[in-house]
Amino acid sequence: MKTRTGLAFLAPALILFGVFVLYPMLTAFSYAFYEWQGTSRQGFAGLSNFSALVNRAPFKTDLPRALLHNVLFFLGTMLVQNTIGLTVATLLHRRARTRRMLQTLYAMPYLVSPIVIGYLWTLLLSPTFGPVNQLLTKIGLEQFALPWLGDPKTALWVVILVSVWQWVGFPVLLYGAALGGVPEELTEAARVDGASHGQVFRRITFPLLVPAIGTVSVLTFIFAMEAFALPFAFGGSTGNPAGSTDFVSLLFYRSAFDSGAVDAIGTSSALATVLFLIIFGGAMAATKVLRRHERRMAS
Amino acid sequence: MTTTLTSADAAPADAASTGTGPRRTRRRRGRGANDPVGGAGASILLWGYAVLALAPLVIMVLNSFRTNADFITNPLGLPTSPTVAAYEEAWTVGSFGTYFANSLTVTAGAVAISTAVSTMAAYGLARGRARIFRWLESLFLSGLMLPIHLAILPVFFLFDGFGLIDSRLGLALMYAAAGVPFSIFVLTTFFRQLPEELEEAAVLDGANAWQTFWRIMVPMVRPALATVAVFRFVPIWNDFLYPLVLLRSESKYTLPVGLTNFFGENATNYSALFAGLVITTIPLIVLFLFATKQIVAGLTAGMSK
Amino acid sequence: MTPRTLRSTLTLIAFTGVLAVGACAPSSDTDTSGSGGGDGKETTLTVWSWRVEDEAAYNKIFDAYEAKHEGVTVEFKPFKATEYNKILATGLAGSDGPDVPQVRSYGQVEPTIASKSLVPLDGKVDLSGWDENVVNSAKSKADGKLYSVPLARQTVQMFYNKSLFKKHGIDEAPTTWADFTAAGDKLLAGDVTPIAVGAKDDWTLPIVHEVLAAPRFGGAAFQKEVLSGQTSFTDPDFVASIDVFTQLAKYFPKNVTGVAVTDAQTLFSAEKAAMFPGGSFDMAVLKKANPGIDLGVFEVPAPTGSPEDKATTPGWADGNFAVNAKSPQREAALELVKWMSTKEFGQMVADEVKQISAVPGVTYNDPLLRQMADSYEKSPSPYLLLTDFRYGSPSGTDLMGKGVQQLLLGSKTAAQVAADIDAGVKTWFKPTP
Repeated sequence: MKTRTGLAFLAPALILFGVFVLYPMLTAFSYAFYEWQGTSRQGFAGLSNFSALVNRAPFKTDLPRALLHNVLFFLGTMLVQNTIGLTVATLLHRRARTRRMLQTLYAMPYLVSPIVIGYLWTLLLSPTFGPVNQLLTKIGLEQFALPWLGDPKTALWVVILVSVWQWVGFPVLLYGAALGGVPEELTEAARVDGASHGQVFRRITFPLLVPAIGTVSVLTFIFAMEAFALPFAFGGSTGNPAGSTDFVSLLFYRSAFDSGAVDAIGTSSALATVLFLIIFGGAMAATKVLRRHERRMAS
Repeated sequence: MTTTLTSADAAPADAASTGTGPRRTRRRRGRGANDPVGGAGASILLWGYAVLALAPLVIMVLNSFRTNADFITNPLGLPTSPTVAAYEEAWTVGSFGTYFANSLTVTAGAVAISTAVSTMAAYGLARGRARIFRWLESLFLSGLMLPIHLAILPVFFLFDGFGLIDSRLGLALMYAAAGVPFSIFVLTTFFRQLPEELEEAAVLDGANAWQTFWRIMVPMVRPALATVAVFRFVPIWNDFLYPLVLLRSESKYTLPVGLTNFFGENATNYSALFAGLVITTIPLIVLFLFATKQIVAGLTAGMSK
Repeated sequence: MTPRTLRSTLTLIAFTGVLAVGACAPSSDTDTSGSGGGDGKETTLTVWSWRVEDEAAYNKIFDAYEAKHEGVTVEFKPFKATEYNKILATGLAGSDGPDVPQVRSYGQVEPTIASKSLVPLDGKVDLSGWDENVVNSAKSKADGKLYSVPLARQTVQMFYNKSLFKKHGIDEAPTTWADFTAAGDKLLAGDVTPIAVGAKDDWTLPIVHEVLAAPRFGGAAFQKEVLSGQTSFTDPDFVASIDVFTQLAKYFPKNVTGVAVTDAQTLFSAEKAAMFPGGSFDMAVLKKANPGIDLGVFEVPAPTGSPEDKATTPGWADGNFAVNAKSPQREAALELVKWMSTKEFGQMVADEVKQISAVPGVTYNDPLLRQMADSYEKSPSPYLLLTDFRYGSPSGTDLMGKGVQQLLLGSKTAAQVAADIDAGVKTWFKPTP
C-alpha cells in the first residue's frame, strides 16, 4: 500500500484521537507545571507540584500506600484470575456442548456496572444482615464469619476477589481460544510416550499459552493501575476502613475535588502524570520481557 | 488477540500460516468431546461457579419484583407475591424511557464512529510499510495507558470552547475517541493475519484501495468487529462521569445519570432502584447473548496463531 | 513496544505537550457584571444544587419568589451529590454555569473563592444578628470577605427509639453520664444494640465523636484555644474525648468497622438498635425508613471528667448559596440571594425542605426539628474539625475518621490518633494568636 493511501485511512482516527484524547490529556499533564488558585491558572511552578507529592502530607503517607495497594491488586488479580481462567478454560476445552453456554454465563458479571457490583457485594458481606456470614455460621464455620469489608486485613482481598469474579470471563474466553490453537498432534504424541496430563500441560500446553498470558497480564496491569470504580464502590473515596482499600486514582479523586487545598489542580495533575509514567513504564517493561520470551520460543 | 502489545514486526511472518482459525477448532471439537477433562466432579464445579457468577443478577431481578417493605425486612427473600409496581414507577416517574433512548443513541453512535474509524486505521497500520506507521501505531497504543478520566477538567474546557457542552453528539464523539486505542489494538492484529494475496487479486480485478478495503477486507474481519463493538458498548453504556459533567438538560441524560438521580430521590426505595438497574442491564445481556458466538469466533481467530 | 518506537512516542508527546501548554486553559477573567432584573425584562436564573431529593420543595419555594418578581423565572437543577464538586468546578469555570450555585461551606469553599468564581456579598447582603459560627461558613479565611448566604444549620445529636427505651425500663432520656451508660447496659442485657454506629464509612465518625464527646474536650472554649495556638490536639482533654470511643465500643454493633452507615440506619429503623448518633439531616431518612418508630432526640450528657459538666449540641452551616461571577444577570442573581437571607425564605426552608434554617427567628412545626433548633440555640458548640480544620489537606475530619477506625480496630491508641490529627493539620494550619 502506498504511504499516502495508508495515511488517508488513518486520518479520521488520528483526528478524533488527537482532539478528544491526546490533547486534553497532554493539557492535563501541562497543568502539573503551574501554580493554581482554584480553577484559575497562575505562574509557572517548575517541579514544585511533583516535589509536593513526595514531601507534603497527605501525599507523603498516602501515595506510597496507595501505590502498594495498586501493585497488590495487580499481583493478586494476576495470580487468582490466571489460575481460575486457565483451570476453567482447560476444563471447558473438551466440553463442546456446554462450552459456549458456560463461557457466556461466566462473562455476565462484566455487564453489570461496577457501582452496582460494589453495592450488591457490600450487602452480601455485611456483618449485620449479610447472608454470607449467616450461611457460614449456620454450617458451623463461625470462625470464618469475619467483618470482610471492615477489617484492613481482608478488605483489600475482597476487592481483589470481586474484581476477579467480575472479569474472569475474559481469561476464560481468551485462554479457551488459545487452547484451541495448541496442535493436538503434539499433546497426543506426548501422551503416547507416557506423559501424564499434568506433564503435558506443564511441558507443552503452558509454554504455548505464554503469549496469551502475556497479553492478559499487560492489560491487567493497565487496568489494575487505573483501578477506580470498584474500590470507590466498596470503600468510598478514602479507601475505608482506615485507608486499607486506597488506590492512586482515589487519591487523585479526593485531592482534586474534595480537599480544601486551593492548589489542588496542580498537585492532582502531577499525580495523574506520575500515574501515567508508571503505567507506561510498567507496560513497556512487561512487553520487553514477553518479546524476549517469544524470541526464545521461536529459536 | 495479539501476542504482545505490539506484535507489529512479528505478526506478518506467521500470518499466512494462520488461515481461518474458527474452522480449525470446530473440526477438532467432535473428536475430543467424549473425553472431558476432570469428569463429573469438574462439571459440578463449573456449574457451581456459573451459579456464583449469576447470583447478583438474579438477586437484582428477583428484588425488583418485590415491594420495598418486603425487601427491607428480608433483603434476600423470594418474591412471594410478585409485583411490577417498581417498574411502572421507574419507567414513568423516573422517565427512563427518555434516558433509554438517549443512551441507545449515544452508545450506538459512539461505537459506530469508533469502530468505523478504527477499522480504517487498523487496515492502514497493518498494510502500511513506511516507518511512520510503526510510529503512529505506538502513539495509538500508548492511548491504552492514558488515564483519560483524570483529564476531566481539560476535556470540559475543550468542549466548552467548541460549544459542545450539553450535546449528545459531543458526548458520543468523546466516547468514540476514547475507544480508538483499544479498537485499533485488536483490529490491527486481525488485518495482519489476512493473507495479502486477497488484495493483490482484487487490485488485478481493477478495484481501488477503498473498494478492496470495503468489499474484501471488512467482511473478513467481521467477528473481530463484533468483539470490538461489544467490548466498547458495555463500558460506554455504564459510564456516568462524562454525561454528568458534559450534559446539562435532563432531557438529554443517559440511563446511568438518570439512574443516579433516581437513586438520590429514592434513596430508600430499593425495589424501584433494582427495577431501574434491571432496565439498564437488560439491553447489555441481550446484546451479549446474541454476540457471544461472534466474539468466541473472533477471539479464537485472534489467538490461534 | 520496542525501545525505538518508545523513543519516538516520547518525542511526539513532548512536542505536542509544548503546543498544549498555554492553549486550552481556563480563562480567569471575572468581571462581567451584567444588568437585567427588575426592569420588566424576562430573566431566567439557574440555581444549581446537590440536593436531588429536595427538588419538589425548592420548586415550591421558587414559585413564591417568581410570584413576587415579575419576569423572573428560577430554574432549579440538582446534581448527584457525590459528583457535585466536580460539576461545580467545571461549571463555574466554563461559559454556561449557574447564576446561583449552591456552594460548600467553611474550608471547602476556599478553592471556589480562590478561582474568583464568586461575587463578594459584603454590603449587599446583611447577616447581622446571625450566629457567628454560621456566618463563618460563608466567609473566606483568606480575605475575610463574605461570599455566600448560609442555607441551613445542621446539628448533631442522639436519635433514640422511645418505645424501645421504655420496654427496657428506661423512662427518660439520660441526663447524666452514669444514666447514659446504665441505659446502654440495660439495652445490652435486653439483646438490643444500644448505639448504631456505621464505622465502615469514615466520614460519619467525626460526627459520632461530636455527638458522644464534644463536652469532653470543651467545645467552643477548646476551639478558641486551639485556633490561637494555646493548645493543640494532643491536649489531654482532646485525647480523653477520643478515648470515649474505647469506653463505649461495647455498645456499638459487633464488627463495627464493617458496618456501613446504611446498615446502622437499618438496624435502628428495624428496631434492633435503640440509639443512632446523627445529624439533623438524617431525620427525614430515619422517618421515611420506618414511619412507625417513636422517634426522639437528646443531647448526650457530658462524659465524666469533662472541663464543664454541660451537654452541648454541636452544629455547623451548609448548603450556602452564592452568585457566579460570570453570571450575565448579576443584579437579578444578587436579588435572589438577598431574598435567601430573609425570614420568609428561612421559614419556607423549615416548612418545605424540613431543615433548620440558618436565618434566626424561624419557627418549626415539626417537634423534633424544633427541639434540635432549640438545643443548638441554648447550648451551641462548633463541629470543630469541620468548621475550622477543613481549610487544607489532610483535613481534620478525614484524620479523625481514619484515626477512630484504627482505634476501633485496636491498631492505635487514643493518644496516637490525637497525635496523628495534630501532625496532619499542622502541615497547613497556622494558629493566629
